[in-house]
Amino acid sequence: MHKKIMYILRKYLNSMGNSKLYKGSLNTIILKLLEEQGKMYGYEITQKVKELTKGELKITEGALYPALHKLEAEGLLDVEVAKVDNRIRKYYKLTKKGVKETGDRLSELEDFIRSMQQLVNPKWNIS
Amino acid sequence: MKLTQSQIQDLYDFTRRHFVEHYDVQTELVDHLANGIEQQWAVDPNIPFQEALQAEFSKFGVFGFHDVISEKTKAMEKRYWKILWSFYKTYFKLPRILMLIIMTLVVYTSMGVLTYESKGYFISFLFLGVMSVIFVKAIKNRKRLKNNSKKWLMEDMILNHGTSLAFVNLGLQVCINPMILKEVVLHPIGAFVMAFLLTAMVLLFYVMVYVIPPRTEEFLIKTYPEYKMG
Repeated sequence: MHKKIMYILRKYLNSMGNSKLYKGSLNTIILKLLEEQGKMYGYEITQKVKELTKGELKITEGALYPALHKLEAEGLLDVEVAKVDNRIRKYYKLTKKGVKETGDRLSELEDFIRSMQQLVNPKWNIS
Repeated sequence: MKLTQSQIQDLYDFTRRHFVEHYDVQTELVDHLANGIEQQWAVDPNIPFQEALQAEFSKFGVFGFHDVISEKTKAMEKRYWKILWSFYKTYFKLPRILMLIIMTLVVYTSMGVLTYESKGYFISFLFLGVMSVIFVKAIKNRKRLKNNSKKWLMEDMILNHGTSLAFVNLGLQVCINPMILKEVVLHPIGAFVMAFLLTAMVLLFYVMVYVIPPRTEEFLIKTYPEYKMG
């Protein structure tokens, strides 16, 4: 029975492609990065994610900025600007509310990963 | 290799050509495109500027900057309503609530002295009259926006919201049709509720058109750290 569940689940995940799996976690990824780095600008976020995941995950530009603006509207991010190389750069950083939310979302994500692991690779040893 | 000032200007023009109307949204995209182009030049400095730009733009997908604009607009809209609410709610607290009560009572008692037939018309025309005055002011606010060379999304929200009143007004005119109103205002409670709702609504539009727009600069400074830099 469990083989059948595993088969369906793997098939389902494969059909989604990892991009869709990541998409749901995009906001959490952004929050986590900002928690670690303090403040970052948009382009830097895309590059950092690419670097950390060794190119496996590419945050597309079309998804990143809408996500940042949404998080800003929710009061989780604050902005700061600086003039760099002839142009204005906008940095994002976590607000107090953002710091708390990051913790909550990360633990939610960890729970989710744990449940998925149990479903995909169940340990059948009772001892 | 870094972009020159004129290439940065070209990027601003490029975003404008791709329907990014507001300076705040343009600025963020310009920095992003510039970073991407510089990254390409770090690998191969011979790539022409326009070619590198097209390669960066294509990363935004088939809809280009559309998603960025619409999400930014939604986010700013949320911010605008928060500002509006922070002002509006002060009219429901002392001492301003007294004004709301007095205005409601004036409308209510005015209805009381009228004949059954004219009550509905009174409310309808009173509302139409007040809204016309507010609407004229809203159009004047909007004209201020047209004179600006640099458009900010928040400024657009503040000075443009009044014009959406035209549609609200039209819808309300249908709803508060004198024929329907006659039935509602016949009952004292119905008349009071109607007087209160009308006053509260006019007050909301008043805040939108008379209270917030004169303070536009203050909100732009608060919303955009780059406002003073630009």
